[in-house]
Order: sequence, then C-alpha cells, then structure tokens
Amino acid sequence: MATPVLEIKDLHVSIDGTPIINGLTLSVKGGEVHAIMGPNGTGKTSLAQTLMGHPHYTVTSGQVLLDGQDVLAMRTDQRARAGLFLAMQYPSEISGVTTANFLRTAINSLRAAQEEKPITLKEFRDRLDEAMRFLEMDLQFANRYLNEGFSGGEKKRNEILQMLMLRPRIAVLDEIDSGLDIDAVKVVAKGVHSLVGPEFGALVITHYQRILAYLKPDVVHIMMDGRIVKSGDKSLAEELETKGYDWVRSEFIHEV
Amino acid sequence: MAPMANATSTDQVRKFAAEQFADEPNWLRARRNRLVEVYLAAPLPVRQRTPLKSRKLDQIPIATVPGASDLPNDVQNLYQVANLITVNGQTMHIHVPPAWRDQGVILLSMKQAVNVAPQLLEEYLGTVVNDDVDKFQALNGALWQNGIFLYVPARVTLDHPITVAHFGSSNVSNVLPRSLLVLDQEARATIIEQYLSEPGPERSLWAIATEIVLKDGAQLQYGAMQQLAATAESFVRRGAQVGRDAHIYWNLGEFGSSLSIAEHTSLLEAPGGQSDSTTVFFGSGTQHQDYVSVAKHVAPHTTSRMVARGVMKDDSRSVFTGVTEIKKGAVGTDGRQKEKILMLSDTARADAIPSLLIEESDVFAAHAASAGPVDAAAIFYLMSRGLSEAEAIRMVVHGFLATAIDAIPVDVLRQNVWNAVERKIAE
Repeated sequence: MATPVLEIKDLHVSIDGTPIINGLTLSVKGGEVHAIMGPNGTGKTSLAQTLMGHPHYTVTSGQVLLDGQDVLAMRTDQRARAGLFLAMQYPSEISGVTTANFLRTAINSLRAAQEEKPITLKEFRDRLDEAMRFLEMDLQFANRYLNEGFSGGEKKRNEILQMLMLRPRIAVLDEIDSGLDIDAVKVVAKGVHSLVGPEFGALVITHYQRILAYLKPDVVHIMMDGRIVKSGDKSLAEELETKGYDWVRSEFIHEV
Repeated sequence: MAPMANATSTDQVRKFAAEQFADEPNWLRARRNRLVEVYLAAPLPVRQRTPLKSRKLDQIPIATVPGASDLPNDVQNLYQVANLITVNGQTMHIHVPPAWRDQGVILLSMKQAVNVAPQLLEEYLGTVVNDDVDKFQALNGALWQNGIFLYVPARVTLDHPITVAHFGSSNVSNVLPRSLLVLDQEARATIIEQYLSEPGPERSLWAIATEIVLKDGAQLQYGAMQQLAATAESFVRRGAQVGRDAHIYWNLGEFGSSLSIAEHTSLLEAPGGQSDSTTVFFGSGTQHQDYVSVAKHVAPHTTSRMVARGVMKDDSRSVFTGVTEIKKGAVGTDGRQKEKILMLSDTARADAIPSLLIEESDVFAAHAASAGPVDAAAIFYLMSRGLSEAEAIRMVVHGFLATAIDAIPVDVLRQNVWNAVERKIAE
C-alpha cells in the first residue's frame, strides 16, 4: 500500500459556537512521527477529536485529507476504515464486551471494508498474544470487559494494543503518556516504533516532553490558541522544557 | 353495568364452558363454572401505568375453538427436542423419556392429567396462583386448555431440561395455557416454556398461568420465552410456593406480544427458601410491557435476588415493578433487587419501580434501579475503531445484557434468549 499522507489545511473548528481551532495547518506522512505540544486548553484534544469526527465539534472551514480523500466528509467509522486511528485520552468503558471480542469485531469490520475474509480465530489469538506480550500485558486482559475497571495506565496500554491489532495508517495519540509511569511510557513508545515505517505515521499529542525522549519525533509542533505557532526538530521540545510556555507566548503569539 | 359490544356474550361463555368440559370430573367442572362467573363479573386488571380500557380487549372473541392448523417450520423443528407441544391449546406432541417414567416422574399434558393424575391435580390446581384475582386470570382458571403437568418424586433429579412449546396459529383468537409443576422433597428439574404465535389478521388474547410447588429442599430452574406475534395481547401470571430450603430460579425472556402484562411471585413460606429471578425484556415498535416481580418473604431466613434488564427501542413502553415484601416474623431475610434499562430511542419510555414493603426490622433489603440512554461517547469510541453505528449499538446492547443473559444456567435457553435479542436489534 502506498505511503499515507494526512494533510490538515487551515482548519477552523468551533464547539457550541466558540472557536477552538483557528487556522491549523499540518501534514504527516508515513514513516514520520510528529509531536504536538502545548498548554492545557489550547485545542489539542479538540484537534484529535475533530480528526476522528466527534459530533460535538463543528468544522467551520479548512480541509483534512488522507491520501487526498476528504476526511471531513466521512463518518467516524469510515475514517477508521480509511486507516485513521485515535488513541483516546479517556477511552470509554464498555461493560459486558470483552477486549478480545471487541478487537475481533473491529478487525473484521475493517476487513469487510477491504472485502477481505474475517480473521480466523487462530490467527486472531496468535496476533493478540504476540501484541500483548510485546506490550508486556497480562494475557488475562483480553478476557476482561473493555476498559471496565481498568486503571488509567491499563487503559492507555489497551489503546496501544488496539493500535497494534488494527494496524492503522495514520495514528493520532492524544495524551497517551499522561498518568503513566516511566516504564509504561517506554512500552508505549516501543509500540509506536514497532509500526513506524513507510505505511505508518503518527501524530502524538502531549503535554510533557518526557515521552519524546523515547518517541524521538521527526517534527515537534507547538500549539497555542488553536494554531501551530512554531515547528522544529526535537530540540524545540527541549527548549520548551527549559523556557516554558510563557516563552512561547511572548516569542510567537504577538507576531501573528 | 351492562356489557357493551362484547365479541362474546355471557351466554356463549357459559355454554362453551358447559359443553367443552362436559367429560371432566365434577370438581373441575364446578371450579370452571365458578370461575366463568368470576370472569364475567370481574374488572380488568389494574396497572397504574398501563391503561387497559382503551385497548378494547372485550372485542377479541373468547370461548372459541380454532380450526386445524399446520405447524410452521420453527415449531416442527422443536419436535426433536420438545417434551410437549401444544397448538391452539391442543396437544400435538408429547414425549416422556422412559428413564424418567421408571423413576416415577409423571409428565403429562394438563388434559391428560385430568384423567391420569386427578388427585394430584385437584390437590394443587389453583393453590399457588389465585384465579379470582382479576378478569384474565379468572378466564384462564375457567377455560384453560392445556399445558404441562409435572410431578417429580422425592430425591429424583431430571438429567436434562424439559422443554414445552405453546404455539398459536394465525386464525386463533384465544389461547389459554396452564401448567402445574410439583417437585417433591429434594427433587431437581429444569423446564423451559416457550410461547410462539403467527401474526394473524385479527388480534388474539393469551391468558397464561403457571403454578409451581417446591417441597422441602427441591430446586427448579424455570425458564420462559415469550415471543408472541405483534397481534397478540398477553396476560401472564406465574407463582412458586417455595418450601424449606427449596430454591426457585426464574429466567424469563420477554420479547413478543403487542401488550404484555406479566407477573411472577415467589412465596417464601418456609425457612431457608430462596428465589433467584432474572427477567430480560426488549421492547420495540409500539409494544407495551408491564412486568411485576414479587418476592414475598413470610418465613425467617429466606433469600431473594431479583434482576431485570430491559432494552427499549422505537416507541415502546415498559414498566417494571419489583416488589420485595417482608412480613413480620421473617427475620434474617435477605432481599435484593436491581433493575436496569437501556433506552435506544428518545420516543421510548420506561419506568423501573423498586418497591420494598417491610414489616420486620431484623432484615437486609436493597434495591437499585436506573434507566438511561446509550452512552454517545461509547458509540463514538467503537465507531472510531471501524464499527458502523449499528454495529456499535449492537455491541453496547450485547454488553448491557451479557451479565444477565450469560448467567442463565440452561444452555439452550441462554442461546434462545441471545437469538431473540439479535432479532430484536435487527428489527
């Protein structure tokens, strides 16, 4: 399959009539890891949710294209079938549905969209075991109800497990590192790196610089007031860590 | 007040009862005739949230003998597994495993029991369910047609479930199944009653009664699946008298019928008696469902668990009233109930009403009830993984019902309930 390209062009989004993203432009290709950093309330999660088609957010102008196709015209499930994935900050708890059952249903939904046969139980089990071992997860996890009673860290690991199983083309990871201890952060980074290649790119949204040491992003973007105000290599994240967001605000905001 | 525009006149009902049951023993005919008069005089059942007058139930003919009917395929398929099949109240098939007969088990149609086991029938008929309580209960008591009669001797355990199917054809206007199950001391059995009907050009009225007597230490897994056609209006009453250390398990699946009024009661009249009740219901279209589940604690150290899970879609309406009644002297009672309803549409309505009537202080009683819409965040989450909206809703409904349905200990019934849920989701 060709290298995926996600292009966000001059995106404006509002929620209940209040503008929250104000002309954001960004492009992620297969093989690349991009990080978006920014203070709380700057629209990072809104961007992630908008990309996946959450009904609360209204796109007022701009474009989102995946391989040239209009993402904004797609329903949420169509976006997933086109290869978009969102690891959510607060994944829902689905009572009565085991993680394994859910993952198998999801894989088969994606396969059906490609007119592929459903996954065999054996292949599914093998892949699931492999992915869980890779992420250092207890295999019993698969039999627990999806996210129900999971700790914050378990939920985040489960999001990465889903990403490995569903094999998206572009993944957006929304604060996947918050609330994780350093070992879990390493595991998450390992999961992302196992997929990165010509057919997979990632957009990692984070509040902290910590995870970037392991993720080694190709590009770091700083987001404020609903826009990307500066992009650079990973040294930008380090600079931000030392100087703080006030530095960004005084350096970049008044210029625009 | 003079009856107005009834489809069936009072004289017709009396004449029907006199002719139809002419060869039954005197005690039974007298009983039927008395209940005919109760039926004619009694008011409609009263359900506060379910107005019955406007449904004009008196326009459905009763006291009729339907013509012959072919068995539809899904009933024919039951032949291999069913112990009793009734069609329009007539026995079509009965099978009693010889091994059970050798153990002294009496398994008959109720019609057979009138001649074959009259003493047992007379001893227990009408002792658990009060046939005088309302109009449709009296109708069943007066004109009941058929059902299963079971007697399991002391300390006998039936090695597999008994299955019973009650079927109504499209041309039947009135079906009145009645069953009586008696388990002697420490006997154990599992039974599943299914109710099925073809949609007809006219409405049909079903009045259903099942009586259960559990002697000391007996255990019964009782399951029922109601999947009547949308042209059916059903009234169901079930009761279990639970002896010392005996245990009744109710597993009830309510899916069909345009109107469904149902009540089941566990009478815990001896110490150590237990009742476990699970009701799963699923309303769609304009179905109106009104369920009452009662655990009546009379003796000390009795236990009841009551669980109800309902899913409501379209313009359906449901009421579930759970009653935990603890009489003075029933010390050490433990009665708990939990009702949860999932709303799939803004135009459906549901009430879950837990009711605790407690006259004794040294008891434990608890209840929880909730009704709410599908979590939009959960649907978004599932769709973000590639599930269509319909698949996502299906998965949430499955998950919602799983804890109740997967706890049903009878494999075939559990599978039946899941199949019925699938059909309702797809409707």
